[in-house]
Amino acid sequence: MVTRHMTRLGKLTRTAVILGLASFAFASASFAQEFKRPTPTAADWAALAKLPDFTGVWEISMGPAPSTSRIINPAIGVPSMRPPQISLTPEYAAKRQALLASAEQDNQSANCLPPGMPGIMSQPYPMEFLLTPGQVTIVIEAYSMVRHIYTDGRPLPEDPDPNFFGTSIGHWEGDTLVVESVGFSTQTEIEPHVPHSDKMRILETFRLVDPNTMSIETTVTDPEALTAPYVTNRFLKRHRSWTIAEYICEQNNRNFVDKSGKAGINLTPPSDASPAPKH
Amino acid sequence: MPINSAVKKVRFAALMLAGLIAAGARTAGAHHGFAVFDTTSQKTIVGIVKEFQWTNPHTWVWLDVTNDKGTVDTWGFEGMSPNFLGRRGWSRNTLKPGDKITVTYFALKDGSKGGAFLSFKRPNGEELSMWKGSPTEDN
Repeated sequence: MVTRHMTRLGKLTRTAVILGLASFAFASASFAQEFKRPTPTAADWAALAKLPDFTGVWEISMGPAPSTSRIINPAIGVPSMRPPQISLTPEYAAKRQALLASAEQDNQSANCLPPGMPGIMSQPYPMEFLLTPGQVTIVIEAYSMVRHIYTDGRPLPEDPDPNFFGTSIGHWEGDTLVVESVGFSTQTEIEPHVPHSDKMRILETFRLVDPNTMSIETTVTDPEALTAPYVTNRFLKRHRSWTIAEYICEQNNRNFVDKSGKAGINLTPPSDASPAPKH
Repeated sequence: MPINSAVKKVRFAALMLAGLIAAGARTAGAHHGFAVFDTTSQKTIVGIVKEFQWTNPHTWVWLDVTNDKGTVDTWGFEGMSPNFLGRRGWSRNTLKPGDKITVTYFALKDGSKGGAFLSFKRPNGEELSMWKGSPTEDN
């Protein structure tokens, strides 16, 4: 189109078309931001009382599991379930071998980078469930993290920004909270040294198995990285007298894994001038 | 002499840890792994608490130890998070500067003056480990 001969109407139309196309493109990437949750009504607040009681502070425990699957991990101090086998595709098995061969002695959590999903849900620290209209919020003590699960009917995003915890949409099926999460950064891992693709999806079901025990079944699928779903089960026990404590990882972090993969420790004693080490 | 239950817990924990590492199991959820520590044997050392850091991601016990030359070195022992310990019988006042204690620990592989704190014992016999017991189960 030759601008010089364009009528004023023509220029306006062209601008409108360009703006229209641009806003369409932005809309699909930021679709989740456009969903506007209606103001909760008194009925919405009252409806929360009909949901299973997920309130309070919970921590992983053994729950009703067969004893052969229990292992005591003194590194974390609480018993945990023996993790099931992860079936990687040849491409991702090779990536995993490369990670192991690079002599990395530790994970980036030694440098205070928190794990993403699903690992953040199996830390040996409590988590708190908050139920409000249209949302379940999980406050995770480890690394002071928060997960938002939207139960207000919004759809899963089609083009989510990849991040550590994904974008989570949940709904209630009777007494079970079913949560789907998508949009995971490949900066995170399924388990230590187990990589995933940006196509990873996570399905979780949360339900009470007794008045103070919650079961969480987590199913990880990844068409590029996994040949079979990776399913783990864990149990949380409620502690009514507990509160979530602060966890600032860099408060006094004396561990590190350097660029060559070597793990190290800073043994410089604290002084009045420098109670915590400066990196 | 009957084995103190705290010592039993530490020995059990050390055996389990050694088994886990041999099996290549992940140290699920820990801030970091045990790569820098020699977990095949527990060591003990006597000293005076210089400072007890009640911090995340790890508590730290700084211990002044008289060496064989008669001078004092400060050793650093890394413990579990205060979030974990605080729910299992520990507080920031459990160890105070000046406390004389015997520390049981996993040594650092490179021989540095420090390690992974497992438990301590006072001259009066009182013992406390990182894993005193189950957390409070009140609901």
